[in-house]
Amino acid sequence: MVLFSDLVREFRFLSKQRYIVLFLFAVFLLSAFAVWSGVTDSHQQQVAIERLLEKDAVDRESVLAKQVDYGDAAYYSFHFTYDEPSPLAFAAMGQRDVYPWKHRIRMLALEGQIHETDAENPELSLLGRFDFAFIISVLLPIFVILLLHDLRSAEREAGRYDLLVVTAKNPYKLWTARALVLSAFLAAAMLLPLIVGAVVMQAPLLKTGLMALLALGHLLFWVVLTMVVGRVMMARGQSSPRIASALLAGWLALTVILPVVGETVINQLIRSPNGGEIVLLQREAVNDAWDKPFAATWDEFLKTHPEWAEHTEMESSFHWKWYYAFQQAGDQQAAELSQAYRDAIVKKDHAAGLLSLFSPPMLVQRLMLSLAETDVAASLAYEQSVRDHHRALRLYFYPLLFEKGEFDSQELADIPVYGSHTVRY
Amino acid sequence: MNIIKLVMRDEWRYWRRTRVATTVILIGVVLSLASVVINSIEMRQAAVERAELQRTSEANFIEQPDKHPHRMVHYGHYVFRAPSPLSIIDPGVDAYTGTAIFLEGHQQNSAMFADQRQSSGMTRFSSLSPAFMLQVIVPLMLIMVGYSCMTREREAGTLHVLITQGVKVRDILIGKFLSVLGSGVLMLLPLILASLWASVSGESVTITASFVLGYVLYILIWSAIVLWVSSISARSNASFAILIGLWVVFCILVPRIGSSTAATLVTSAGKLETDFAVREELRTLGNGHDASDPAFVKLKQDLLDQYGVDDIADLPINFRGAVATHSEKVLTDVLNKYADARMEEELSQAEIARQFGWLSPMVSMRTLSMMISGTNLETHHRFLREAESLRYDFVQALNHVHEHDLDYDADVSRYKNEETAKAARVDASHWDVLSEFSFEPESSTFRLSHSMVYALQLLFWLGLMLLLIKQASRRIL
Repeated sequence: MVLFSDLVREFRFLSKQRYIVLFLFAVFLLSAFAVWSGVTDSHQQQVAIERLLEKDAVDRESVLAKQVDYGDAAYYSFHFTYDEPSPLAFAAMGQRDVYPWKHRIRMLALEGQIHETDAENPELSLLGRFDFAFIISVLLPIFVILLLHDLRSAEREAGRYDLLVVTAKNPYKLWTARALVLSAFLAAAMLLPLIVGAVVMQAPLLKTGLMALLALGHLLFWVVLTMVVGRVMMARGQSSPRIASALLAGWLALTVILPVVGETVINQLIRSPNGGEIVLLQREAVNDAWDKPFAATWDEFLKTHPEWAEHTEMESSFHWKWYYAFQQAGDQQAAELSQAYRDAIVKKDHAAGLLSLFSPPMLVQRLMLSLAETDVAASLAYEQSVRDHHRALRLYFYPLLFEKGEFDSQELADIPVYGSHTVRY
Repeated sequence: MNIIKLVMRDEWRYWRRTRVATTVILIGVVLSLASVVINSIEMRQAAVERAELQRTSEANFIEQPDKHPHRMVHYGHYVFRAPSPLSIIDPGVDAYTGTAIFLEGHQQNSAMFADQRQSSGMTRFSSLSPAFMLQVIVPLMLIMVGYSCMTREREAGTLHVLITQGVKVRDILIGKFLSVLGSGVLMLLPLILASLWASVSGESVTITASFVLGYVLYILIWSAIVLWVSSISARSNASFAILIGLWVVFCILVPRIGSSTAATLVTSAGKLETDFAVREELRTLGNGHDASDPAFVKLKQDLLDQYGVDDIADLPINFRGAVATHSEKVLTDVLNKYADARMEEELSQAEIARQFGWLSPMVSMRTLSMMISGTNLETHHRFLREAESLRYDFVQALNHVHEHDLDYDADVSRYKNEETAKAARVDASHWDVLSEFSFEPESSTFRLSHSMVYALQLLFWLGLMLLLIKQASRRIL
């Protein structure tokens, strides 16, 4: 058992080593910066969503007020859909700068609208963001290696090793205590900003706790690995830099080479339809409908909406119900391709999940993204909620368009409003 | 000279004997070769695929049957961004921007289908591009190869012996420097081959030469960093720890801190947000689909006066076409105003992130590399601008057809029955108004002149390192 007095002694010893104190302070600053920029980012996104919601409501109201028939009302009214950052998103922004999290859609064919990405600055996305998950998954191993790789060998190289081992009652206690104190301070330096951030963002206790546990688990893994490798290699007479090179090579393989090569392989193995084909197909389908006999549109449309079979008569060569029917028919024709596109995303994500079992840093990152709801699943859930809303719009307007009623602007008061989709897990 | 050679040979012999260095160099060369091959194949595929899609899209447009011209405005057109020849080495922002845009009347769409959206999300570190290999991984390998080049001699006491026997410190340093540099150049070889290949496939020689030169400069800088740290450290482990620390700071921290800082300092309103602003402004400008919109009263009066008639039906032109032309023009002016502002914002964000090149040679190299290979933000913006000008041209050309080649009465009664619908069409021969879209990277002079600052950043780093080494050489013992 490591005694409290051992820990106090090691603490006194380490606190006098200026470079370790400086190092830990630097780690604290990095973590604080990561959390701060994550909180600012989340906050900006929330503010943007609120601002857009307000503008959206004003815009739709002013547009709807001018309309004199339901078809125009559906054509000119846009709906803002969004995916709010979860309270923990500040810690793992994940792919939110690449995946779309806001759209403006209307009742036209959805496949032409949903693939639009209101992306952020691509050059900044390329450089990557510096968030808490990045510190934990990528940088933490390097911190541990730099701090602990020469725990024993440094003493030997300084000529104190034998003396220390001989004078200590139990030499294991000595190393364990030192490693424990070092990793405790490292953990504190990294986790303190996270806790402050979680309080500021009012993140749920359980998930914050799980996130911290993940960080601690990853820390433990690398501490144990470093100690074991350090001990074994030192026993074989290897010097500290050799030990560190070996550990860093391991880090490089696990955090950089494996994911980068894995990604290339996954992309080669799992083929996905080219996104351009979906929109091209959808456009051809929608535009051809103008020149085809009405029956072609109705046949396709009635496959999914047989309830309107009695309402397909056309008194002129244009009627809004027909217009929206061929928009839906266009979506239906592209549906298979679009589903394959999404399936490929899911498959790739699944393959990445399997691969990450071989790389603790990647596993930790994936788990953190899923806790923060910024992973692929969350992005797909948002996309589904946009599809659901679009469907709700169709179901709302079809009776108005198909049943020949007089236009009544009061009816438009009940137009479906996008509500933030519910928690996905 | 002989001494320098001896020092070099001795260093290389040591690497061979210990195996660690040779393994590292071998892995480095293999990885960088693999990345060049994989990336070349991928970019070639993408180039062919996009060219094919571009052709299909153009053919589809031209082959449309007789239609009402405004329907062609909504039928729209797709353009695809062809990758530049050097993107086989540095794909730059390609994966993050989306490479296709749908062009149609009344709106400017954003680029669709960024590859990153389709990636497995395994790593945001980077794809396995040769640029990433050389900018991030090769420096790490140089460190593993060379961290002990001076400290080893010092620890073993041989440095002292060498100097007391009259060997110049300068010669030792140059010898060590050249040996580290040599291993870096080995890992650079695949890039040089790929650059030659890019030259063959149409890139100007000045461009590829400066591209390679930039990377040589970068390898020089890192070799100098390794040598400097090794000569100021008392022990190998200190040298190693400092070098790894510097690598983490230069290659991982500074770029990301730069990008986070830029995003926080300059907030860029997304496209959606500007869309709302555009719509607000447009509400006063009128709806081009509706010729009776009050916003067009003035246009109507002007036209009636111009042709001296009392009713729009008597105009020699199609009033609805005139409204479409007019409103597209007004709308596009507003859209362009906001699009330009957005690009300005993105550029100023990028400018901030690029200034971090003074804090990390990796950032300067990355910017220089993207700038020279024509895969940077500016190129993407030019793609957006060229696509927009193509969009405006074909939409206005179709509106011109609408205005002059389609009778107003036929146009107004187009929905009455099948007969009138047929009458409200124009001949398909009008669809050849679409001009071909071929996207080329900027001229080589433009790219070179814009990369001067980043070349200067690299030279600053090299100068700084050489100065530091010179200073260290005075206190070598």
